[in-house]
Amino acid sequence: MADKSEAERGEDAKVSISPSIPSGNDTVWADVSSLFRLACNDLRSDELISGENFNLFAAMSALEIMDPKMDSGIVSTYYSVDEAIDSGAAPIPLSFDRTVDVQRVIDIMDHLLACEATWHKGGSLAQTVFSCIYLLRPERTSFHALLHSFCRVIRTTCNTVVSAVSDARTNEEEDLFTMAYGLPLKADGDDKCLSMLHAVEETISRQLKACKAPLSKRKVLEDVEPLQTNLDLEEGFCKAVLCRLRFRKHLYHVLTCMRRPQGKGLELAKKHITSCLCELDSMLKSAEFLRDHCACGTLEDGAEDKTTASGCQPIGFDSTLNSRSAAPTPPRAIKLLSWTKAVNYFQKLLHDLDIICSYSLDPVFEGALRFVVDFQKLQPDLVARAYIQLLLVQEGKLYGREPMFAVICRAALLPEGAKNHDVQKNETVGQLGQLLISLLRILCTNTAWQRRKLGKILQDWRIIYVQLELAFRKEFGDITNTSTDQNLCLKICKHILIWVEEQTYWIALRFLVLGFELELYSTSEYCMVYWYIYVILIKLAEKTHLKMMLSNDSTGRRKSKKKRDFVKDVGKDYQIPPSVLLLQCYIYIAEGLMMMLASLRNENKIFLCLGPFNTEQERFIQHFELLQKACLPDHASYFSFRETTAHARFSTLSEYNCFKDAQRMAKELRGNFANDPDRMAELRRIEQVAEHNCVALNLLCRLGTLEPSLKISFEFIHHPHFAVAAVKRS
Amino acid sequence: MEAEEGKAEFEASEIDYVSYGGEHHLPLIMKLVDQELSEPYSIFTYRYFVYLWPHLSFLAFHKGKCVGTVVCKMGDHRHTFRGYIAMLVVLNPYRGRGIATELVSRSIQVMMESGCEEVTLEAEVTNKGALALYGRLGFIRAKRLFRYYLNGVDAFRLKLLFPRPEPNYSGSALPTGDDAQGLDEGKHYVVT
Repeated sequence: MADKSEAERGEDAKVSISPSIPSGNDTVWADVSSLFRLACNDLRSDELISGENFNLFAAMSALEIMDPKMDSGIVSTYYSVDEAIDSGAAPIPLSFDRTVDVQRVIDIMDHLLACEATWHKGGSLAQTVFSCIYLLRPERTSFHALLHSFCRVIRTTCNTVVSAVSDARTNEEEDLFTMAYGLPLKADGDDKCLSMLHAVEETISRQLKACKAPLSKRKVLEDVEPLQTNLDLEEGFCKAVLCRLRFRKHLYHVLTCMRRPQGKGLELAKKHITSCLCELDSMLKSAEFLRDHCACGTLEDGAEDKTTASGCQPIGFDSTLNSRSAAPTPPRAIKLLSWTKAVNYFQKLLHDLDIICSYSLDPVFEGALRFVVDFQKLQPDLVARAYIQLLLVQEGKLYGREPMFAVICRAALLPEGAKNHDVQKNETVGQLGQLLISLLRILCTNTAWQRRKLGKILQDWRIIYVQLELAFRKEFGDITNTSTDQNLCLKICKHILIWVEEQTYWIALRFLVLGFELELYSTSEYCMVYWYIYVILIKLAEKTHLKMMLSNDSTGRRKSKKKRDFVKDVGKDYQIPPSVLLLQCYIYIAEGLMMMLASLRNENKIFLCLGPFNTEQERFIQHFELLQKACLPDHASYFSFRETTAHARFSTLSEYNCFKDAQRMAKELRGNFANDPDRMAELRRIEQVAEHNCVALNLLCRLGTLEPSLKISFEFIHHPHFAVAAVKRS
Repeated sequence: MEAEEGKAEFEASEIDYVSYGGEHHLPLIMKLVDQELSEPYSIFTYRYFVYLWPHLSFLAFHKGKCVGTVVCKMGDHRHTFRGYIAMLVVLNPYRGRGIATELVSRSIQVMMESGCEEVTLEAEVTNKGALALYGRLGFIRAKRLFRYYLNGVDAFRLKLLFPRPEPNYSGSALPTGDDAQGLDEGKHYVVT
């Protein structure tokens, strides 16, 4: 790429057209080396030519050659994998001393575990697992059965995980994860990894049995060649190898069973999870033996950073080998997790997967939503999130078996017959099903990404509501005609519309509360956030209640025929459903917090949004822009927030204490959720928040403005979304 | 918390604030940023900012020694004219005395006068000092960016929206980057 002016000036430069590269439209390839050399003579260090197609922005992409932080082509140790192998970086056998050989294989197994966990946690595959030279040349290990089978199962497992994550597409921001850059993820024969692993496992179990047998019986077993040469250590090494092999085997089973359609492999996966955890324990137990008999002599301190149980540096790894082919960005030093941390990571992953496998596949949509929301509270990593999503959505159906229209009908509390109604053929209804699927998918992504996506889809849910309304009106025309089919039709439309609204407010609420989990709000913004949560909750409770009343209208009538003693007016003993009362609890808490914060702002002049460049209104606009755009709810604005909170005073709050109401209601609701431990725990948390804030509010009412030295802060010690006020004398 | 003896002794009035004045300032800025950031920036990264938006970069001097700097840009981003704070650094012994606030406020003031609708930047979620500083200036934490930094740490995208009564986009037409996200790796090391 020579600059035009340079070309004109450089009379001595010879530019030869290169015919070896085919020319394109109006362009030919030319060798500009000599021209380039001349231009270089004119440039001093740190100078670049600026041209029409090469501006200052483009210049930022310049890399400084030979700077190891920027130049991924820089040779650190070896030019290539082959050179590394030729230099003896990955010998086979690893040692001619068979004891050392086994020790080194175990170190490789451990280091690979650390690499794998680091990869799952966001490192690149090339710089972690595939820094192993043995993995990069599958054919080389074939004469070392133990290492060969282990390498095969590692490659296969990585491949399984990559395809699960890319199928789930939960990795929007973590796309580094699935980049395999032409690494040998699938080597010939890797599909037979399990039978190979099994054969090796068999051999070593026999070796273990042989060395444990009493002397008298040993003769019988003499044909069993030991794993290595030091017979005193035979048992320890056999055990250490066995648990590592078995862990790989069971892990591979877990990952494949969980991919069976319609959750059919979950039971079996659970069994393998138990075995996996058991083998991980054995691995941890083997660490002491391996440290005591390590091949690399005495160890310096800091064994907790080591990537192997023995504490030895493994051989056969070079993370810089792939750097040239690996990443589009300059190479980054990756800090590998320690072996112990890697074991802990896999324990956590397996516990998360166990929760997925234990799920009842609740056909009720609300149940599925709560399941995934609760699951996210455990802060699962990418792989676990991919698997929950693959379970929830398969072939456009819930769990691969419930068509979305049936799911919608059930969620909208329609009678069973509705799910076969022709209205599902309507295009807009089909789109609603798609929206629901994408909602489920979004709920499986990391919470930072999730919140952004939820904010964006709010608009879609608003639009689909309007479209459904239109579609229903068009499809069924005049609804005054009261044939039974049309009655059902009307009913379906009514129910679905209410439910869509309810669901939209549910998304809005989740969008708002995730802001707390992601620490997006500062204390001075809590007042407006709780105000918004409060108004959204009111709408959500209203829609939920309406939906339930609609369904009561129809099912209630049917039931009333069965009940002989049903003579009373339905309205009289009508009770508000517990799920609505639970929402009412949240409403009280949000209202209480909003008013307490507002009073603190009005009277104590703290937690105010003041800045030199803008006002509180700009903060409001930015935080709630997406809700406002979607008119959620209608007429909610900065001015309505100001109107509600501008006159809050502690004197009025002491008369009407929302926290007391919340506490009372949460207590009363216990009986309704006695069979649901998660809901019971949530009620307990609400009670704690209410109780704590009740006391704080009383204190503030009594001395708030009188004692200016009071230090007030808000903490999330009882509930992730509802703060409690901490009042301290400073 | 920094040990008290690690702090420089000076009066606020002893600090001189200077707008970027030319290539002679470049080594000063580079030295400060290189000292505080792990991310390698080539000289061309600095030039991109200070050549195109010299009026948005400021340096703080104490008795002739450069102790702080801010480097910014502005341009169109998805139909919004926005300012972007790329780098903000104050030497450790000089932190906690409002130098960073003064530096960044000067840049923001110029952005506002040039017709920017908003100002953005990214900061590590663990950088409490920077978050507090920007919070006081009216920035909100608009988004959390999962594992934004290559060390695996999340970032917040901070945003400051200017009040909108009289939109004035007639500010001097300034060259802009092809992609306002192009250099979102400016880290913010400020402890106040």
